[in-house]
Amino acid sequence: MTGWPILSLIVFTPLIGVLALLFIPGDNHRAIKGVALVAALASFVFSLRLLGYDTSGAEFQFREDYDWIPAFGMGYRMGVDGLSVVLVLLTTVLSIVAIVYSFDPIKTRVKEYYATMLLLMVGMLGVFVSLDLFLFYVFWEISLIPMYLVIGIWGGPRRIYATVKFVIYTLVGSLLMLVAILAVVIAHGNDSGTFTFAYEALRGYPFADGLQALAFIAFFLAFAIKVPMWPLHTWLPDAHVEAPTAGSIILAGVLLKLGGYGFLRFSLPLLPDAAVQFAPIVIGLAIVAILYGALVSMVQPDLKKLIAYSSVSHMGFVMLGAFVFNEQGLSGAVFQMISHGITTGALFLLVGVIYERSHDRMIAHMGGLNARLPRYAALFGLFTFASIGLPGLSGFVGEFLVVLGAFQYNGWVAAATMLVVIFSAVYMLWMFQRVFFTVPSGWMRRFWPTLTDMSRTEWLSIAPLIVLVVALGVYPAPVLDLISAPMQRIIEAVSGSGGLSSLGLPW
Amino acid sequence: MNDQLNDLFTLLPELLLAITVLAVITVDLFLPASRKWTLTPLAIFGMLLAGIGCWLVWGVNDTVFAGFYVVDDLSVFFKAATLVIGVLAALFVPSYLIQRRLPLGEFNAILLFSMLGMFVLASSSDLVTLFLGLELMVMPSYLLAGFHKTDRFSNEGGLKYFLLGSFASAILLFGIAWTYGLTGTTHLSGIGTGLLDRGAAGLVTIGLLTVGSTFKVAAVPFHYWTPDAYQGAPTPITGFLSVGPKLGAFALLVRLFVDGLGGLRADWLAVMAILAVLTMTGGNIVALVQVNVKRMLAYSSIAHTGYIMAGLAAFAAAASPDVQRQGIEAVLFYTLGYGVMNIAAFAVVGMLQRDPDRFGGLSSFAGLAGRSPGLAAAMAILLLSLTGIPPTVGFFAKLYILLATVDAGLAWLAVLIALNAALAAFYYLRVVVYMYMREPEDEPATVDRHPFSSLALVLSVAGVLLLGLFPEPVLSLVRTSVGSLF
Repeated sequence: MTGWPILSLIVFTPLIGVLALLFIPGDNHRAIKGVALVAALASFVFSLRLLGYDTSGAEFQFREDYDWIPAFGMGYRMGVDGLSVVLVLLTTVLSIVAIVYSFDPIKTRVKEYYATMLLLMVGMLGVFVSLDLFLFYVFWEISLIPMYLVIGIWGGPRRIYATVKFVIYTLVGSLLMLVAILAVVIAHGNDSGTFTFAYEALRGYPFADGLQALAFIAFFLAFAIKVPMWPLHTWLPDAHVEAPTAGSIILAGVLLKLGGYGFLRFSLPLLPDAAVQFAPIVIGLAIVAILYGALVSMVQPDLKKLIAYSSVSHMGFVMLGAFVFNEQGLSGAVFQMISHGITTGALFLLVGVIYERSHDRMIAHMGGLNARLPRYAALFGLFTFASIGLPGLSGFVGEFLVVLGAFQYNGWVAAATMLVVIFSAVYMLWMFQRVFFTVPSGWMRRFWPTLTDMSRTEWLSIAPLIVLVVALGVYPAPVLDLISAPMQRIIEAVSGSGGLSSLGLPW
Repeated sequence: MNDQLNDLFTLLPELLLAITVLAVITVDLFLPASRKWTLTPLAIFGMLLAGIGCWLVWGVNDTVFAGFYVVDDLSVFFKAATLVIGVLAALFVPSYLIQRRLPLGEFNAILLFSMLGMFVLASSSDLVTLFLGLELMVMPSYLLAGFHKTDRFSNEGGLKYFLLGSFASAILLFGIAWTYGLTGTTHLSGIGTGLLDRGAAGLVTIGLLTVGSTFKVAAVPFHYWTPDAYQGAPTPITGFLSVGPKLGAFALLVRLFVDGLGGLRADWLAVMAILAVLTMTGGNIVALVQVNVKRMLAYSSIAHTGYIMAGLAAFAAAASPDVQRQGIEAVLFYTLGYGVMNIAAFAVVGMLQRDPDRFGGLSSFAGLAGRSPGLAAAMAILLLSLTGIPPTVGFFAKLYILLATVDAGLAWLAVLIALNAALAAFYYLRVVVYMYMREPEDEPATVDRHPFSSLALVLSVAGVLLLGLFPEPVLSLVRTSVGSLF
């Protein structure tokens, strides 16, 4: 299979699924679900081929390189390193989870729904494999619109407000990023004489300090909004609360990772000087995000909002790990992204399960569910503990590595973040207790006779996540091996510009 | 004699178009009412012939008729773009007119006359030809705006368009007079050097020319005629008015400011950049609060004018000829891409406007995705393109403008364009919200389906996507045509 354009196959197989959907009558739900699942599965099978990635080198592999708009040096350039590989696999797995889970809850505009989900896959996968800034931007924007539709069409009562907020926030960031991309490309083109959007040509190029700083700010806005970083996170709770369950799974599981990936792939290697310069500020914001997310989570009455704010906290860890510029921190950041994708995806799915039965997500409206739904409670418990970071589950590895990295950078930073591990135990366990152990609320009693435990489809959809959360917690080495060389490369890029060691914190 | 024949050959597209007008008028006289629709294929056939004419004179690059008329690749590109817009207009408009028993023959003839004006405008190398072309273009436009003669809004729009348009023409003419007075020539190639170092008088002249011509592209603060003229006109015709005369006006701007006053660009750079910012921001902010889609599109077309003007500012700010060219190239690509997407968007509004009382309100789009999925999808693609989301022509056009401005050192302008584009997303996507996320109203407006309109819609949506994904062929045309200026 070596000669196959494997990356194009991964990215565009879902698109073929969309085209196939066009020819299926809208009321044939079985066929529609079948086609969507087959397309996503095919993309997943192709993505398994990436496990053949040679971890010894940091160079991009499975390359595809064609001219697209040569007049401007834009190319159809694709390739993956370990970082892309793990994120591509996360995306294909979570897409299948989201599609399978949607089989029962989505009953309106079924055909459009699955077409949108597949289109979303195209955009997300494309972002992770693009090695051309133009191509990257195109996929980046393509991933925006389907999510806009998913929230806006299949979402909750305030869906329109939420989805418009989501789009406008993201667009402001990404359009400014486009200007920054152009500025970088033009600066490189004017100095070197070759005008190109190729990532590898631009990486390592010594851009002037002023340009780096401005471009960094623009990139930062785009990625930080996506992550989302405090104080740019306000779209996230709205979007999550209104999104349908599968939308939340993808949003938390993959879309937020686009931001983290953007920092690791573009901000740090392209603009190392500015990254070093801004690192203290970013680290400060990350710590605020970690603490703020955790504190706000404690007081949320709505299950989904609670998990959404906990995402702000967890993604703060990613940012912290990325900007301490050492191997533990960076590996921890990537691992935390993967783990957050799995656990939060699963938690949103589980919230969806109870929402389907009681049509409500208020914690106060639950209680005592352990008696009625023991299997569900056990699963929820598993992922609650994964989210807290219990050793043996995937959440632990990422947080541990990030704190380790932070400790090398500054002991106080590490201490502050450790505090959050306690907070997260508080809000997650308290939530778990109120939902599963206390006396059932009056609201829940009305549904008591009809409450059923997890259905077969629900089991099927969450199964891959159960396997992954345990497997990666016990044996994280495969992921860490995959990302070690690329992370090393980022550290080299950054330390080439002085590194962080020369910088103390201002406080 | 041979020379004159040669000169006439370079006029092939114009001649073919003129013959088509005459043919349409003549045939119209003998056609029974039930067969009037055949005039549309006839007009389009003529436009396609003119297109072949364009292809034949591509690369000729000659100045003819004693320097009054230039047939360079730039002019040919503008003519070809005019033909693209003309074909779409000829296809989009008939269903609306037939519906309301408005005369199809006159429409086709007026449309062709207006296009002929754009041809002349694009090819003018002399202020006199320039003005001639301009008037030939806008006079028919006034008629088109007031085409629905029993409708008082259409009358109002036509009249306002006529009065303010004439006012602008007068200012421009005054500027031309000053130019002649100062320089003793009306040749575009001579006025630049002639106006150098003329002090206050030179600035007044440039000011008059700027005001007159930016009036024509509807730049803020000279835009007040646009919304009323656009809203009053029959909707598909508004589509043409918002792109056709605009294309012509940008041909005028390029001819006047690049060909003629290119040497004085330091003098008009600041004005052009500020006007660009005012225009895009003003257009967007007012569009934001519109609840009528037609009026929203009218204001948003003002915003697009601002983006295009930024291309001219980039030309003026750039130091090296390579970078200067990019500004003009961006202008050309944007006007073409904008033309295709905007005329189609207006046409969709027109298709939903069966009921004369309901004026393209947002509610007529409610739940369209359920009633008419194809039309909703087409409109969604057009709106995304207008917003500037890849992979559409609107995105690539905006990218081109951004590229030119950043390269020319106007990064602040690029940032403002980016922010404006995000602002525009808000009102464009609102229509998508209505189409896909709201329930239809009780008695939804029926969708007007005419084979001509459907064909044109398919063509323009395909164009929007293809030009967005594979812009290379058009890019090379754009580059060659701008090359004839430098």
